[in-house]
Amino acid sequence: MSGPRSLSTVLILGIPILWVVVFMLLPYGIIVTYSFWVKAYPTFKPAFQFGNYLTLVTDPQYVQVLLRTLKISALVSVLSLLLAYPFAWWLVFRCHNQSLKTWAYMAVIAPLWVSYLLRAYIWKTILGTEGILNSFLMSTGIISEPSSLFLYNQFAMVVTLTYIFIPFMVMPIYTALERIPANLSEASSDLGMAPWQTFLKVTLPLSTPGIAAGFTLTFCLSFGDFIAPFLVGGPDGNLIASVIQSQFGSALNWPLGSALSIVMLVIVLAIVSLSDRIEARANTGAH
Amino acid sequence: MKKTLTALLALTASPALAEGTVNVLTWEGYADASFITQFEEESGCKVTATYVGSNDDFAPKLLGGGGVYDLIAPSIDTTALMIDLGLVEPLDTAAITGWGDIYQKFRDLPGLQRDGVHYGMPYSWGAIAFMYRNDVFTTPPTSIADLWNPDLAGKVSLWDDKSAIYVAARLNGDSDIYNLTDEQIEAAKAKLIEQKPLVRKYWATAGELVDLYKAGEVVISNTWAGYQSSLLAAEGIEVTEFIPTEGAEGWLDAWMVVKDTPNRECAYKFLNMQLSALGQCGVANVNGYSAANPVAAKACMSPEQFTALHQDDPDYLDSLMIWTALGERFEAYTNAWNAVKAQ
Amino acid sequence: MAAIIELQGISKHYSRTIIGVDNVSLSVEDGEFVTLLGPSGCGKSTLLRMIGGFEAPTHGKIRLAGQDVTHVPPYRRDVNMVFQDYALFPHMTVGENIAYGLKMLGKGRDEARRMAAEALEMVGLADKIDQRPMQLSGGQRQRVALARAIVRRPKVLLLDEPLSALDARLRDQMRIEMKHLHEKVGITFIMVTHDQEEALTMSDRVVVMEKGRVAQDGRPQDLYDHPASPYVANFIGTTNFLAARRSGAGVATAAGPLQVEEAVDMPDGAEVTVGFRPEKTRILAPGETAANALPARIAEVIYYGLGLRITVELADGAQVHVDTLLPDTLARSDVPRPGTPVTIAVEPHNIFVFPGKVVV
Repeated sequence: MSGPRSLSTVLILGIPILWVVVFMLLPYGIIVTYSFWVKAYPTFKPAFQFGNYLTLVTDPQYVQVLLRTLKISALVSVLSLLLAYPFAWWLVFRCHNQSLKTWAYMAVIAPLWVSYLLRAYIWKTILGTEGILNSFLMSTGIISEPSSLFLYNQFAMVVTLTYIFIPFMVMPIYTALERIPANLSEASSDLGMAPWQTFLKVTLPLSTPGIAAGFTLTFCLSFGDFIAPFLVGGPDGNLIASVIQSQFGSALNWPLGSALSIVMLVIVLAIVSLSDRIEARANTGAH
Repeated sequence: MKKTLTALLALTASPALAEGTVNVLTWEGYADASFITQFEEESGCKVTATYVGSNDDFAPKLLGGGGVYDLIAPSIDTTALMIDLGLVEPLDTAAITGWGDIYQKFRDLPGLQRDGVHYGMPYSWGAIAFMYRNDVFTTPPTSIADLWNPDLAGKVSLWDDKSAIYVAARLNGDSDIYNLTDEQIEAAKAKLIEQKPLVRKYWATAGELVDLYKAGEVVISNTWAGYQSSLLAAEGIEVTEFIPTEGAEGWLDAWMVVKDTPNRECAYKFLNMQLSALGQCGVANVNGYSAANPVAAKACMSPEQFTALHQDDPDYLDSLMIWTALGERFEAYTNAWNAVKAQ
Repeated sequence: MAAIIELQGISKHYSRTIIGVDNVSLSVEDGEFVTLLGPSGCGKSTLLRMIGGFEAPTHGKIRLAGQDVTHVPPYRRDVNMVFQDYALFPHMTVGENIAYGLKMLGKGRDEARRMAAEALEMVGLADKIDQRPMQLSGGQRQRVALARAIVRRPKVLLLDEPLSALDARLRDQMRIEMKHLHEKVGITFIMVTHDQEEALTMSDRVVVMEKGRVAQDGRPQDLYDHPASPYVANFIGTTNFLAARRSGAGVATAAGPLQVEEAVDMPDGAEVTVGFRPEKTRILAPGETAANALPARIAEVIYYGLGLRITVELADGAQVHVDTLLPDTLARSDVPRPGTPVTIAVEPHNIFVFPGKVVV
């Protein structure tokens, strides 16, 4: 092999490998290693034991927070789906005014360019006891006293996270719907199916890759969030990422924090591979 | 070419570069421009400040890669950890003017020394007092029990910190709050879980508590005495601080020199400034905290301020349960507090 | 035979100025194979989609077997369509695709599968029932689309450019297969195409469309032999056009007078255009005489296997194509060379006469 050629081979293979090693394997390797260490005042010391993982299983507080986080993430994903799907469907199939379409799409996507914190703060001002929602409900006479039911609880977290992550649901569904050839709906109608049957038998199945992708994105993003609980969550709003943060921070228990991170990583990977499988199955037909 | 380079260097450099710099990791207000600017001009040391939100930030920031900070200002419950972690070096007290003027009680705190060697220079102090909105209470609250009053459901806040365990323990009658047994911690935890339905939100930052009061979400909570109440006063919201019958925790922040700092000269200039009238009244005026050096405080404070900050009130000082490092027990406390939040 | 499809004054106006279909009336007999032919944008596909129910006409009525279906949605119309790129459902197997439309006809699962298998048998793809459309070639997909539409036994089968996505060889083969299929199932076929050869070879009747209107409607050979307008003459086959004036019993072109047989009801001296097919034009042998002989000069000779296309220039500079079959005795040296003076001739009955001057 000639000199320049072997150099280019080294570069072509080497850069991605280096990337994977430096940005994936190395950090994860460190976290995995820490997860077997043991807490020892003032910090922690190397060991190989499964005590941290055992703690996660035996101390109910971790299972509790994990289940709560799964519940919140699932609610966010479902709510996002219920809102995003009809919207994307309308954009693709019913909105024939091109500039309206562009504006409507941008209206959903644009918040992505606004700081995350700002978007979460907006919901604080909307949902608060003296917030916009309460003022509105009181001015319309629906309620006579401001309600504290909207902010600092799981409802507020779900609403805020849905608002923040819904673009990640709209985009893949929009793309999936747009990729469905228009004549498939016509063919279905031609073969005797009413519009709602066509939706169930053609449009919905063919958009499953988009749904799976959107669900995965919103679920995983919510799953790893710790800002929403901090800003709009209440006393019952602790999520898994906040716990990890406190283990690496105030508790100074990196081994336990690492074990928690690994558990979280495994859950996320499981969801991603499940979604991959759904997408792959849906894609064996469509290109 | 060389000229251009020199010109460029001169442009990027601040006027004080010639003398030196000092990088501090501290609380907001502790390196406020109102007194730091004067220090920079007089000493020729440029101050670069990074702010922490909690005492828990010091260890991770320093462990995560040193060499960045020269001085830190942790609280008295964290200072011992800094010494144990080997992150700080012994103080040259002889190089600190006014060392002898610091309250004796503070200088001798066990968290600031090891084997008779001093590691921390007391700077400011205060109480973790309690606070309520004047317009809500006809009878002023006097006890921690008032934060467990079902009538105040959804209007209570508590600091999101292991300090919550101290609060609940005192309510349970366990006054040795820094040496709680497992059973006592468990009881405190149960007490806090019992309180959860009343809690609107656990506050994590000073600003957050101010916002909660401002937005009408919260009417009673604990507080960093002097600080949040003055911020609220500025917003036109009248609150009153009180020390409950169960007593209050006291805190003290001390400056510590990071091990092997390359900027030792500027660091000590900074320490001397902070202990002088400039620094002591600086923090008192900006944050509303009490000063550790009463001699300097007397020189720069009005008599009213001097009294209001309890600078001549040994009994007040003695009544505070000054934070103590929890050492090996630290985990039991934080774990209990995390378990409360996990509920 | 009864009319299965009747279009009465059908128009589709997209706006005041954009008109897709303009007042088309058409009647299709039961069992007929009718082709709508025209260039893109002539309105043929829109007309087909209106018959299918995918678009609604702005004026006029559509009757299917005597029933007014003008505003009946596609899923309640007894017609089926073969889409241009087949529109097979990618997430279903071939069998599921074909059985898709049977459930709504009240067929059970087993019966639907049996009917799907039969339909596949008919198009020669019995073994592909469990494959996915992705796994099939273009021609196979085309057949599946046909089977899916036919299995429902609709009154009318609509075909939208059904062969345009296939390569030339496959297209020729499918033309014949579809013709046979039409004979076998006896359903009315209405096809849209822009390919005149396809239209001529497959259909019983061709409707040539121009700018949303019907330009001519008739049997393929009628259209070829008696085009109603220069547009039809030019669209179906190739035609040489020459400007002329009416003169006595014939016409006078710039290159010389021509006798014609077509009755031309126009005053002497009126502007006309004559047209004649290249393959009906002859180059006379030396010394040969014929009616309508015009002197010319060879301009270009193109060899296309089956024969030669010779372009000649008339005395006035007008160019005329002459197609000749290549006799196997013709030696290579006998191929005419450019520049050679020749005489061309067209039989009077092979000349079309159109009124007015035509720019083609």
